[in-house]
Amino acid sequence: MLSDSSESDGEKRKGRLAYRFRTTWREPTAVIGVLLTIVFAYLIVVPIAALLYDSVEVQFGDQRRAGVPIGGLTSYYLSRALFSPIANDLFWEPLSHTLSISVGAIIISLSVGGVLAWLLGRTDLFGRRWFATALIVPYMLPSWTFALAWRTVFKNREVGGQMGWCEALGFTPPDWLAYGQIPITVILALHYTPFVILLFGNALRRFDSQLEESARMLGASPRAVARKIILPLMLPSLMSATVLIFAKCLGEFGVSYVLGLPVDYDVLATSLYRSISSRQPGVAAVIAIAIMSIGIVSLLIDARLVRESRKFVTVGGKGAMDRKNSLGKFQIPATSFAILIFVISVGLPLLVLSMSTVMRVPANFVLSNFTLDYWIGHGLEFVFFPSGILLTPDLWKATWNTLKIVGFASVCSGLMGLLVGYVVVRSRVRAVSIFLRQVTFFPYLVPGIAFAAAYLSLFAVPRGPIPALYGTSLILILALMSDQMPYASRAGISAMMQLGKDPEEAAQVAGAGWFRRMISIVIPIQKGALVAGVLLPFISGIRGLSLFVILAVPGTDVLTTFALRLLDYNYTQAANAVVLIISAIAYLGTLAVQKLTKTNLADGLES
Amino acid sequence: MPTIALRNISKHYGKGGVKAVADLSLEVADGDFMCLLGPSGCGKTTTLRMIAGLENLTDGEIAVGERLVDSANKGVFVPPERREMGLVFQSYALWPHLTIEGNTDFGLRLRNVSKAERQERVARVMTTLGIEKYRDRYPSELSGGQQQRVALARMLVVNPEVLLLDEPLSNLDARLRLEMRTELKRIHGEFGTTIVFVTHDQWEAMTLATRIAVMNNGTLQQVGSPEDIYDRPANRFVAEFVGNPPINIIELGSADGLAGSAAEFLKRHGKDTLMVTSIGLRPEAIRLTRVKADLPDADLCGPVVLSAILPTGGSWILELGGDGQKLHATTNVTPVWDDREHLFFHVAADAVHMFDGDGNRIGQDDTITTNDVTAGDLPGQ
Repeated sequence: MLSDSSESDGEKRKGRLAYRFRTTWREPTAVIGVLLTIVFAYLIVVPIAALLYDSVEVQFGDQRRAGVPIGGLTSYYLSRALFSPIANDLFWEPLSHTLSISVGAIIISLSVGGVLAWLLGRTDLFGRRWFATALIVPYMLPSWTFALAWRTVFKNREVGGQMGWCEALGFTPPDWLAYGQIPITVILALHYTPFVILLFGNALRRFDSQLEESARMLGASPRAVARKIILPLMLPSLMSATVLIFAKCLGEFGVSYVLGLPVDYDVLATSLYRSISSRQPGVAAVIAIAIMSIGIVSLLIDARLVRESRKFVTVGGKGAMDRKNSLGKFQIPATSFAILIFVISVGLPLLVLSMSTVMRVPANFVLSNFTLDYWIGHGLEFVFFPSGILLTPDLWKATWNTLKIVGFASVCSGLMGLLVGYVVVRSRVRAVSIFLRQVTFFPYLVPGIAFAAAYLSLFAVPRGPIPALYGTSLILILALMSDQMPYASRAGISAMMQLGKDPEEAAQVAGAGWFRRMISIVIPIQKGALVAGVLLPFISGIRGLSLFVILAVPGTDVLTTFALRLLDYNYTQAANAVVLIISAIAYLGTLAVQKLTKTNLADGLES
Repeated sequence: MPTIALRNISKHYGKGGVKAVADLSLEVADGDFMCLLGPSGCGKTTTLRMIAGLENLTDGEIAVGERLVDSANKGVFVPPERREMGLVFQSYALWPHLTIEGNTDFGLRLRNVSKAERQERVARVMTTLGIEKYRDRYPSELSGGQQQRVALARMLVVNPEVLLLDEPLSNLDARLRLEMRTELKRIHGEFGTTIVFVTHDQWEAMTLATRIAVMNNGTLQQVGSPEDIYDRPANRFVAEFVGNPPINIIELGSADGLAGSAAEFLKRHGKDTLMVTSIGLRPEAIRLTRVKADLPDADLCGPVVLSAILPTGGSWILELGGDGQKLHATTNVTPVWDDREHLFFHVAADAVHMFDGDGNRIGQDDTITTNDVTAGDLPGQ
């Protein structure tokens, strides 16, 4: 070795230590990695831990019932939520409602979406390209847009305010049609149908038609080919769609709130909301943990299925599905089916909502009944709401709040995502890179409403040096940002992976230090990824409801909670108008992202 | 201009994990065109990246001239951006968001060179490399060969004392490769830069390098001029890795066939047949004749059957069968023999490479020499 024998071992050890220190901690990457680790530990791990602790810690006012002083440990909330006489109302019934809605929505959306995916991908359906975009629209809009449309048409005297259209036309819809399980199931099914079209359609597109043709050459009939070749190979993507829809239904709040509340039809998410608003944080924690656990288990199953399906990758070479089946005499029925689905899932709801905002009396289609007053008029009959929605200061305040809160959170999560990506790909400290990758993905497993409950339990009271954040915009920004981190960090990691380290190392060899490399090389190259990483969370944040409904207060009203409040006051026209505004922003935003990044929504869903 | 000294450098991945480079010592002299040659995964790129400072050492040290730039035991580490070297990546790694000019003057901007000088130096290096007409284009608008030139220009413009090239020609097609090879050789002469480059392509190494370091499994096998490496391989690995078609190895031990001929040859020259366990014969050193009586006494010779003639365009590969073992010979003269013909092969004594049981060359002193190397002894004559 080069060290002469006179050099002492101690000196050598010191030298080696200095070398390790210098090479590992020389660049800000390591420091940023540690900072990010701390930030996300606090923003993601600690709230979940606080939620878990809340479910076993005696809360204020419960000492007597739990038989333990405040702060002591108890199984009271667990037994109250799961085994007490009211457990049925609190947990079991909402659970069964959630399950039956999910199963119904899955069955409908799989069958409708499956057929549509096949029609769009593998046949000469008339207007295929147009339908391919048009049928995806419901997925870009907030799901409860359709709930409002449904309520506008079918609502009966169970709820005050304007009459529903049906009732105004002389037919009083029964409760089962107006509220509860059936409408919720139908609306969620329609909302998730595009999801199936995208996932299943992608799988179909990648299917190598040579596999099919080989079976045909061996004498299999088209039906046998479908049953023995296509279906088994498509099964993983169908299963995956099933699990993902289930996980999404689990946290679904808006639709169930709008259509379930009038008949006390609770699902887990609304039951959680009720527990929180009736100040039972212990029980709320138990329900949130239940939602979270079901969510985690189902997504683990999905991860498993995806891994299984890798075993028979069907990525085709040249044969990948260019051949279309001719529909022949089924052309007209098939096209009608596609039109019907479009009308039900996009056309009618949006038409109903738009018309309801320009009609004085519901379902009276004479010209004199139409007015723009609810948008821009003055002197309306409503107490809290004397002028058109566009002239109401509250709308602009809510819009400003939305832009401020969602915008700030999106910019943060976009930047953080890129930073996380950078550190994960570049860090020399493996532990940091693994921790960051996993912790930023964790919120994906937790339905938004449970995540909001976790934030509430952590930030509702001052803890240590951190003041109580409840009621501030900051809590919304932090929650929203963490909730978006799975998407942001994945985007960041894949962007950094794709870039590789060569361009940056080239700059380094050319003499550029860390900050110079960031500013001149990494960020300019990743500009596109950064824009997408900001816009995507923005779109999903702007139509999001479950986080806000738990964490927002009137002072931090955003468009979604504003719409919900208008609905609670039965200002139908105004509520519908606000929802239309949100839909328009979400739709245009999605188009903008697709244009900017030249990607398809479908690609993002699957990764 | 400095020399680069690698002293006992090692690189292990993970704790006690894979040894990418093990205890490697190498000196690159000023003005050398040094090639690190070896099969993929032999640690040559890792070595190059350690010189650049992009990989850290597990052990050992690196000095450039008098300046210690890396020492795992003394805690010295000069970051890549302060080593004043140039590195051309295998992927070229051009910055996609900058024009060719932007790519080229990046390094000069960092060094706060005045605008006038920058323009002058960029123009000069672009003209030298023939890329001046692309200055306003973006990298994605250039072909592979042009990108390669930009990658080179970007590094040359700052006049680095050391230029490192990682498989610089591997992404080019055959014609461009030839062109760039000439170009690199010219640049080396013109700029007088010390160049270290990595390749797995022996042709590239032979044609470009002034010195070649052959590596295998993270260890250095031999350092020397291209002639040294080809004519006096230090061990069987080097002998077999360099040369195409590869060297013919005859394992000793049997008294029959080729091994028997080899043993007889060694005995004739008074060699210890126990120490020499294999011999190597370059294809072009093998000559053929019909009449055994014509052969020089000192040559290694024996009977073979011509089993196939493979034309390669201007030259031929001859496959010779000899009792279970095969020999490949090459010739530039149209073969006059018939298929399946029984012939005699012979190799001049000083072209016989001998290896011991560990695969090491049996030293220079032991090499058999003959005074009358029959150079004109072409096949068929």
